[in-house]
Amino acid sequence: MSKLLIIDDEEGIRKVLSISLASDGYDVLTASTGEEGIEVFKKEMPSIVLTDIKMPGMDGITALKQIKEINPNAEVIMITGHGDMDSAIETLKLDASDFLNKPIKDDALFVALKRARERIDIRTKLKAYTDDLENMVRVATEEVKRRSEFQDKLITSSNDGIVATDENGVIVIYNYGAQKIFGYRRNEIIRKTNIEKILPANLASEFIDGLNNEASANFSEWREISIVDKNGKLVPTRFSGSILTENSGIIGSVGFFRDLRELKRLQEELIKSERLAATGQTVAGLAHYIKNILNGLKGGTYVLNVALDKNNTDKVKNGWSMIERNVRRISDLVLDLLTYSKERNPEAEACFPNQIVEEVCSLMEPRAREHDIEIRKHLDSLVGEVYIDPKSIHRSMLNLVSNAIDACIFDSSPKKQWRVDVYTELQKDHTIKFKVKDNGMGMDKDTKARLFSRLFSTKGENGTGLGLLVTDKIVKESEGILKVDSELGKGTTFTMYLPYKILSGEGISQKKQITLSTMF
Amino acid sequence: MAKRVLNVEDDPDIRTFVSTVLEENGYTPIMAKDGEEGIKKVREEKPDLIILDILMPKQSGIKMYHDLKTDDSLKSIPVVMLSGVSRRTFLRSQAALTEFGDETVPEPQAYLEKPVEPEDLAETLKKILG
Repeated sequence: MSKLLIIDDEEGIRKVLSISLASDGYDVLTASTGEEGIEVFKKEMPSIVLTDIKMPGMDGITALKQIKEINPNAEVIMITGHGDMDSAIETLKLDASDFLNKPIKDDALFVALKRARERIDIRTKLKAYTDDLENMVRVATEEVKRRSEFQDKLITSSNDGIVATDENGVIVIYNYGAQKIFGYRRNEIIRKTNIEKILPANLASEFIDGLNNEASANFSEWREISIVDKNGKLVPTRFSGSILTENSGIIGSVGFFRDLRELKRLQEELIKSERLAATGQTVAGLAHYIKNILNGLKGGTYVLNVALDKNNTDKVKNGWSMIERNVRRISDLVLDLLTYSKERNPEAEACFPNQIVEEVCSLMEPRAREHDIEIRKHLDSLVGEVYIDPKSIHRSMLNLVSNAIDACIFDSSPKKQWRVDVYTELQKDHTIKFKVKDNGMGMDKDTKARLFSRLFSTKGENGTGLGLLVTDKIVKESEGILKVDSELGKGTTFTMYLPYKILSGEGISQKKQITLSTMF
Repeated sequence: MAKRVLNVEDDPDIRTFVSTVLEENGYTPIMAKDGEEGIKKVREEKPDLIILDILMPKQSGIKMYHDLKTDDSLKSIPVVMLSGVSRRTFLRSQAALTEFGDETVPEPQAYLEKPVEPEDLAETLKKILG
């Protein structure tokens, strides 16, 4: 039952209205002054108030204002006397629901109350609707939030770097994976940086082109891309990306970057451990080879002893050269083993590559001459003093020339003039080409295929299978290229390209510094 | 007259060593550095004994031994094998040649495995050549 408050200073009106409204089913409250009315209103919170305008003390307008402050939804119907019309209209501006002229007619009262009740009813329903709507919106918002958080988490927790931009190329998503790859912190990047800042130029321009015209972007295939991170370090990654569209308009772009550093490190470790394993497996083969060297040394000692007893100078020379040769064989072997089993960075210094090649040729000359093999040098005079690792050249050329001589020795074709041609040639791109060409036995497909596999030797006890492995490793460490071309019965050509640095005036002083620093 | 001994050997160190041992024990050394040169020298020089290596470029000792022992004019020359290859392996290789239809050949007079001590080589030669 709805409560109704009547505020009127005239007792007669209060009584008449109370009786008629109570019979209509209202729970009627009365007050004789504005002040009393406010007190009752605060206490009982009626939904409808009927108040006289003209009252001693607080008038009806003031009461209306206060009631509306307490409860803006209260329906306040003003009771006006004759000549109060201006005030009555003013009360409407103050959000009174209606007004009734005195003397109050029942039908007018009935209509006013009916309207008031309808408004209350509508307001209640509206509130219910609004509440319901708010609830629905809240549920929907939560769902959207939950989904977006889920996606956020998905993006942030991805190990892969995810970088997304808006349609202008400004980065809006940049997860921790991306932070690990690019080195920039999330708060330096998100909404502050353009994609061009963190990507290599060619990839950045693909993104920009793609954002301008989706058709021009071709991102979807995974490919390897090196990123330069904040500290200038190269980070190998696998990349794939796409231009994002909505209703056929471009809204942004996204790139996925998979960090390959760990993978590369594992690969390198695997190669390293394989190499160590190979060294272990070589031991058996090596034992034979070393035994031969020891026999050579022992034989040399025997020959030397005999020669000394007999005072035979020629024999002394023979014995001594046996010892020398075998000492060199074993020191070459040890060097090969060390080079092969250890990580080594080429140490560039100023040197003359042609000179090194000359040295190698003269070292191999006696062995070649013994088997009637001619070593011919074709050295490019344009190859001057450059900055390169002399040990790498020496080691690899020694192996290649020695192999070429062996290829001639083992050639079973009828007597021919065996030749080993050694070339150097200056290349355009700061590279020197070294070529060793022989007209010896050559290789069949099978031999060529096994050329760089561990321990493979065609020379029986006279080979360890290490030589080419070492050469291959040296060339790789120098970031060079090693090529082989061979035909069975025709001969073999090994071509090695090694990069060098030009020796400027600065370079020479740098060399002195390096020499100094290596001295201390 | 000093007995003449042919050493067929690709390793120059072992050639120097063997020739010194031969001279020390009163033999005349003749040298060849592979099987091809070896068989030529055998025909030219008709040595009293052959010291033969097995693993050599061009023509191996396996083939040369077989050629020597199947040639009526040469089969009587005693052969001492001196190799890093074991005796068993060598004999198996000769048996394999036989299986391919070649004549059966007798075993070598002596089989020395590398490394050989100068005294052992000298003693072996003395036993055969007297």
